[in-house]
Amino acid sequence: MNELAIDSNDLTKTYGSIRAVDGINLTVPRGAIYGFLGRNGAGKTTTIKMLLGLARPTAGAAHILGLDVSTERMAILQRTAFVSEKKTLYPSLTPTELVRFSRGFYPTWSDNSVGKYARLLEIPMKQRFEKLSNGNQTKVWLLLALSQGADLLILDEPTTALDPVSVDQLLHVLAEDGFDRGCTIFFSSHQLEEVERIAEYAGVIEQGKLLMESRLDDIKSEFRLITAAGNSLPAQTSSQVLSVVVEGNFYRYVVTKDADGFAAGLSQNGAAITNIAPLSLREIFLQLVRKEQ
Amino acid sequence: MYFWKCWRDTRSFFVVFLIIAAIVMPVAAMVCLGTHLVADFGTSAFSATFGLILMAVALGLGAIGAIHEFAENTAHFLFTKPRSRSYFVWAGWAVGFAELLAVATVNYVAGWLTLSRYSKNPFHSALFGPMTAHTFLDPLIFCLWAYCLTYSLTVLLHNGLKGLGASMGILFGFPLFVVAIRWRWHIDLPFPPNSIGSLPLAISSIIWILVAMLFVLAAQLVVERTEI
Repeated sequence: MNELAIDSNDLTKTYGSIRAVDGINLTVPRGAIYGFLGRNGAGKTTTIKMLLGLARPTAGAAHILGLDVSTERMAILQRTAFVSEKKTLYPSLTPTELVRFSRGFYPTWSDNSVGKYARLLEIPMKQRFEKLSNGNQTKVWLLLALSQGADLLILDEPTTALDPVSVDQLLHVLAEDGFDRGCTIFFSSHQLEEVERIAEYAGVIEQGKLLMESRLDDIKSEFRLITAAGNSLPAQTSSQVLSVVVEGNFYRYVVTKDADGFAAGLSQNGAAITNIAPLSLREIFLQLVRKEQ
Repeated sequence: MYFWKCWRDTRSFFVVFLIIAAIVMPVAAMVCLGTHLVADFGTSAFSATFGLILMAVALGLGAIGAIHEFAENTAHFLFTKPRSRSYFVWAGWAVGFAELLAVATVNYVAGWLTLSRYSKNPFHSALFGPMTAHTFLDPLIFCLWAYCLTYSLTVLLHNGLKGLGASMGILFGFPLFVVAIRWRWHIDLPFPPNSIGSLPLAISSIIWILVAMLFVLAAQLVVERTEI
């Protein structure tokens, strides 16, 4: 059995001269919670659309749960739940009716889950969808996805319009229930704190290119902020040095890979290393995106 | 599932026209009690209202029953369900078609029951002569044609009103076009439900039904290729 829940190979999507997704290679292990990070328009939604067969790849291939997205779409959709970036549903249907509508498509559907998540997320099940607040509309999407009994959850900006309490509930549900069921969760977001809180793996996409993909712990351990004091220290960026900020005699380097080795090199140039600190995911993300720009 | 949703979307329209189809002839007969109008013109009136009611139902169901996922921004929800897009196109069509047939059946049964009660010869129209199967099959085929055209155009134009408008434009404009061609070049273009060339009417009817199906097939092919 393929150990990857999502596996893409040079997946590319172009619209005219615009390369919305530019040859990305995703590897999402089964059972993992994977945060797909990127700014608005970076290519997250287009990637997800290709994975779900809503858009055709211009080039490349992708597999979901070991199934080819271009030829085994029905089998993939049977086992995959999806929460769209656009949280619109049939306006005249109530959440109860939407449950009734969705239930028949999935043999793994769980009415117990419907009751559980409706209570937990405090969804008014008898109100027409168009009358629900934006937050509750998002919750209905989540309810339908979580009750499907899917092996893979693909969530595109799932916390849009949710209040902090609901975000907290949702992240708790994803982390606890998803883990208990052995479900893979792939969610796109630009809310870095959410990804940092529950994801084990993260990928960063910018301008259609996957800048980085790894275990979150590995990403965090790879990047360091080195503060050094000295004169005429190197101030150029490189593949190892993502950024340099010079303030008087103080140099602040954001480095990737072998921070200790880089610091040792600075010491040999007469620098005094005043601090080597880890970076938050937000700082790493900003550094990567700025470097790409 | 999707059949239920299609039924839910169209049921109000369907029920209203089902009631109209059921009561139009009995009410007309009651209004005309004590006169010879039903006996003399009941059959003619019935065959005319049969086509009118069915045409209204066909156009309405075509515009309401077609998939509105693109206009409603719900395509990403529906088309990530584990069914082919062709399933959704044909399921919506099938529900509307069943409702069209139901209205036709109810109208036909109610009409003939009424005529049988008040007229000695319900199978003969003072205006149109004897009634045959084609008297009712032809309008049914034409309405099926109109339904399929409206349904397809609604799917293709992503909007019920636009689909209805385009369909009515074709349905009412094409006969004028046919007349103009005949007048200018003496060429007879076929038009449903008339015979195509020298083909028997039954064969022509089958061809018209197949053409109607082709409209839906075209809509299916476009929906299958549409990127969301």
